[in-house]
Amino acid sequence: MSRQRKSLSVLLAFLIMLVTILSACSKSDSNAGNGSASSPAGTASGSSAPAGTASAAPTGEGLSNEPITLRMTVWGAPEEVAAYKVAIKKFEDKYPNITVKLQHIAADYDTKLTTMVAGNDVPDIAQMESASIAFPLAEQGKFYNLQDFLSSDTEINADRLVPNITYSLEPGNVIGLGPGPESFGLFYNEDIFKDAGLTPPPAKASEAWTWDEFIEVAKKLTIDNKGRNALDPAFDPKNIKQFGVNFPTWWGGYSNFIFSNGGDFISEDGKSFALNQPAAVDALQKIADLINVHHVAPSPVQAKNIPAPNIALQTKKVAMAIDGQWVSAGLAQSKFNFNVGVLPIMQKPMTTVVSGMFSMFKSTKHPKEAWELLKALMDPDSSIDLITAGTWMPSYRDWYTDPALLAKWTENLDSRPSGYKDAIVDVLLNDSHQTPTGYVKNFNKIMDIVNPALDKVWLGQQSAQEAMDAIAAKAQAQVKGRRDVKE
Amino acid sequence: MRKGLFYGLLFTSPAILGFIIFTLGPMIASLVLSLTDYNVFKAQTAFVGIDNYTKLFSGEDELFYKSLGVTFYFVVLRVPAVIIVSFVIALLLNLNVKGRSIFRTIIYLPSIVPAVASAMIWMWLLNPDLGLINTILGWLHLPTGNWLYSEGSVIPSVVITTLWGIGGTVIIFLAGLSGIPKQYYESIDVDGGGWYSKLRHITIPMVTPTIFFNTIMTIIGSFQVFNEAYILTQGGPNNKSLFYVFYLWRTGFRDTEMGYASALAWVLFVIILIFTFFVFKTSKSWVHYEGGERA
Repeated sequence: MSRQRKSLSVLLAFLIMLVTILSACSKSDSNAGNGSASSPAGTASGSSAPAGTASAAPTGEGLSNEPITLRMTVWGAPEEVAAYKVAIKKFEDKYPNITVKLQHIAADYDTKLTTMVAGNDVPDIAQMESASIAFPLAEQGKFYNLQDFLSSDTEINADRLVPNITYSLEPGNVIGLGPGPESFGLFYNEDIFKDAGLTPPPAKASEAWTWDEFIEVAKKLTIDNKGRNALDPAFDPKNIKQFGVNFPTWWGGYSNFIFSNGGDFISEDGKSFALNQPAAVDALQKIADLINVHHVAPSPVQAKNIPAPNIALQTKKVAMAIDGQWVSAGLAQSKFNFNVGVLPIMQKPMTTVVSGMFSMFKSTKHPKEAWELLKALMDPDSSIDLITAGTWMPSYRDWYTDPALLAKWTENLDSRPSGYKDAIVDVLLNDSHQTPTGYVKNFNKIMDIVNPALDKVWLGQQSAQEAMDAIAAKAQAQVKGRRDVKE
Repeated sequence: MRKGLFYGLLFTSPAILGFIIFTLGPMIASLVLSLTDYNVFKAQTAFVGIDNYTKLFSGEDELFYKSLGVTFYFVVLRVPAVIIVSFVIALLLNLNVKGRSIFRTIIYLPSIVPAVASAMIWMWLLNPDLGLINTILGWLHLPTGNWLYSEGSVIPSVVITTLWGIGGTVIIFLAGLSGIPKQYYESIDVDGGGWYSKLRHITIPMVTPTIFFNTIMTIIGSFQVFNEAYILTQGGPNNKSLFYVFYLWRTGFRDTEMGYASALAWVLFVIILIFTFFVFKTSKSWVHYEGGERA
């Protein structure tokens, strides 16, 4: 018996040794990977560590001729991945010594990237989402400050980019650049308006509908199963065949109107929770009223039955849909008369710009080359297929202002109807707001508290004021300031 | 003897190694991590003692108690439902009817459908406006519901969706039922008893070990419900389906607070341990083993 036990403990000791050796091996590997660009200690030393970047002064020249491999991770639909591959192909042709390994993580992107970070095995460039782990990573100093590259690059700089696609940890510390900005518009089925004899939504921001005008039209276009519209006293809100408008009730959807109404998620000084303030509450209440008072928009429960915007508009389940411009791609494929107008306004024309971003990990051994790759990915010429298909918009300002370049992606395309230039392009340039995920610190934690409360508002169980007041104290406790305000 | 031991260990080593590397190791690591503020992205990890646990139990983290409550409610509803429904189905499948094997296959089939796929199916079935269930209820002039989308009905609805996959439990019951010797029933026939006597005095006592096993497995499985929250409800509406493991996952992988998530995991482990222990304790009084011996 005792002998058996002894053998067993020897075996166990052996196993533990094996495990230790194995883990030590992998660790030393990844440390070697970190070594040359910046020491692991440098990587760890907080967010404002320009030392690492300074040593790797980014200029177009001075790139290594040695064979180099860059790794990048992305998510996205097959056509987006195809566009990245085009950009990478061009890049590799330009720099024959560089190979780019594209890792497409289709599902659970953040979970996988988190695991990679935990295992000290990160890519050189990663696509990131502002609402998720990008800022937590940046706060730990895992990303390069792209401002250093932007300020010294001859081809690309902050002014060349359209507004609101630069993500900063704090003023002057750029952690990511969005390759494809997206804004919101009012998409609609032209035939529905023609048949109803109504004027379609205006495309120019200066002529945008007021909120009341918008409700009026939406009521005329909300039809029950006996053919009565929402202005008819006999209208049956329980059996609606066609909704006037589909209104997405996630923060991207309602943020447009909070900003339009002069409200915000947190106050200008970043000190207080602001969704319970009059401007924001008013906007939220007006949106909830679309559902519960005017019956022109589906509730979140009913919205589960509404198919994708292109199908919903084509099959006349909804007459108008407030959605991101990315739906243009699907609409173009659906082959029907759709168009886009500017969002109705509460106080002023406004759209929220949302976009993924590309970030560069500090652990990269080749920051200069990674920056060149990042530039190649930002180049609208590389993602032109994605842009003309309707999914993306270009990231360079001159593609919006130079008529020749603008024509390239807005003219004679199924995905770009007549209202597009005014309602989407102009509004993005002139009346856009950064996504709250880009400047509200601790956004997710605040929204964990806000979202359940808003469920009740959309369902009509509480007024926006009651619901927001009820959680204000809890939300306030999670307010940690703004990224666009210097502390 | 020595040689025997050597070969024994050699041949079991894949299993032992697997257990140590992939189960025991991570468990110990997570226990240690639960005493730290480990955050994947932070370079520094500090030892914080039982701070994570105090934060949990002090009420500072409301969602901990909320998710615990949601999960308990789910367990209380689901365990009896699974046991009763699968037992009744097993009894029916054990009858000597034509096409018995086809019925058995049909009952088991949903268990091999991937959880994600069956969750998607249920999302459509339970859809308040277009779903099959409300449509049928409407035809029958019965009240319809909002199912997954209303605070009161979300947990019962999730329980219903999980009953779809009880094929495995049914199979184990069937195995238990087929192990009952025929002559017991014959003796009831001789004494002039009916089906109820057979069920009450033979079938149920004889399958108590199976009931016991299935109950424990169902309790453990129910506490760990995750897919349903992840796919069907995302914890909503108003956090009414914020299942414990879903909250744990969110804390660990979305908020990257792995230390805290490890503490959550260990609390769940202890809770499951307590429940299992409790069921084992009570089993003495109701589980019948043929030889009169308890395992």
